[in-house]
Amino acid sequence: MSNDNFIIYEEEIAQIETLISKMLKGCEAKCALLVDKDGHLITRQGFTHSLDTTALAALLAGSFASTKEIAKLVGEPEFSVLFHQGKKDHIHMSLVGDRSILVVVFDDRTTIGMVRLYAKETAQELAKIFQEIADNKDSKGQGTGIDSNFADMAQNKLDDIFSD
Amino acid sequence: MVAINYSSREVCCKIVYYGPGLSGKTTNLQYVHSKVPQDTRGKLISLATEADRTLYFDFLPINIGTINGFAAKFQLYTVPGQVYYNATRKLVLRGVDGLVFVADSQPDKMDENIESLSNLEENLREYGYDPETMPLVIQYNKRDLPGVLSVEELNRRLNPQVRPHFEASATIGNGVFDTLKLIIKIVLEKAKNSGGQRAPVSIKAQQTETVDQPVAVARTQPQPAPVGVASGSAAADSGYRPFPGTKTTIKEEPKISPAGFTPAPGPESETPIEQKVPEMAQTSEGNGSTDLSRPAMAPSLRRRADRKKRGFFKRLFGKK
Repeated sequence: MSNDNFIIYEEEIAQIETLISKMLKGCEAKCALLVDKDGHLITRQGFTHSLDTTALAALLAGSFASTKEIAKLVGEPEFSVLFHQGKKDHIHMSLVGDRSILVVVFDDRTTIGMVRLYAKETAQELAKIFQEIADNKDSKGQGTGIDSNFADMAQNKLDDIFSD
Repeated sequence: MVAINYSSREVCCKIVYYGPGLSGKTTNLQYVHSKVPQDTRGKLISLATEADRTLYFDFLPINIGTINGFAAKFQLYTVPGQVYYNATRKLVLRGVDGLVFVADSQPDKMDENIESLSNLEENLREYGYDPETMPLVIQYNKRDLPGVLSVEELNRRLNPQVRPHFEASATIGNGVFDTLKLIIKIVLEKAKNSGGQRAPVSIKAQQTETVDQPVAVARTQPQPAPVGVASGSAAADSGYRPFPGTKTTIKEEPKISPAGFTPAPGPESETPIEQKVPEMAQTSEGNGSTDLSRPAMAPSLRRRADRKKRGFFKRLFGKK
């Protein structure tokens, strides 16, 4: 596993969001999240106002990770699609490349078949984008948003916040 | 690895509290949750058994505010301490940036501490992390109990590499913030050193709000690119496009048989699929990926379905 920082730039996010919103339009789902397997939210689209997306991302990544272990126990390397069915709302998760998860939240205005169809297509497109980004990484160099005084400034903030 | 999102302007770090069962990992998080201002923290989520023993993990997101134009976010996790939960414990370690090892200072818990520490090392190695370079702070907890071991003794047994350590009593909060502050500092220092020298890009308007558009709005825009429109110098500065994905190639998803997507005779999916498949099929043809396992549709049916679809959206949203 890579120990590099996970960096994603606006142009990539723009591409990704265009794809995801196209998918949302197509399958008429409520919202979609793109989550890193580590539990970080990469981006979200659609009607996410009422959702605690940070917690959702962490829990979904946890859920995906635990089913991966279940898969191993039955001799599969990984389950690439997960589906949670509720009374009104349902969640469809599918693997994107080898490190992200596309999560689609939908209700009875659409069907699981539609979501599955569009999510599969979108996941393939997203995987291509991620692959391109990974391929370009070495030739394009590396930068972070963390400069030399970031840690010091964070420390000052922490002193303010974490006071007994 | 630290996640840096130039679009939503966030730096996100994952910090995991590790240690033997009942050493006080969850208590650490509960104390942080109870003491930090409400606008700084998210909801504390505990996946615990009925007896309040951690089953999978506890999760507490903290946002300490904007630094250099980036929102600094930290995700605090704990692991289940009991030995037999190693499978889930290992999962939580995925993508960890920094570790707090919470040791129980009581003499009869020493063996458990040692076992947990070696289990941590083993699990880190399985993920390909180097335990020597992984940011780690050791917290000797339960210092308020009588008869606890001395710090020298604990250091001798648990901390031969002389890692930073703190004495703590998580129930009353002693040492909890000191530990957290130090691990955050070490994680950020490490992230800085592992990155390049590029200065942060100039700050545009906070993008997270625009991302949050309701679906209905997005539908009226054929190509919504809320972030790309306002993409600042990061986008223009195309010299940097790193993405630290592992260099291993992305695995091809196993092909799902065409039967999986054919409009099944089931009553619920029949009509919508008939309407939607043509559009998707066209898209995929346009992109050259014609091998998608999906049945082709006769052109006449396709036109009909397109007409149907336009009518459907017209009805739904009125005039365009």
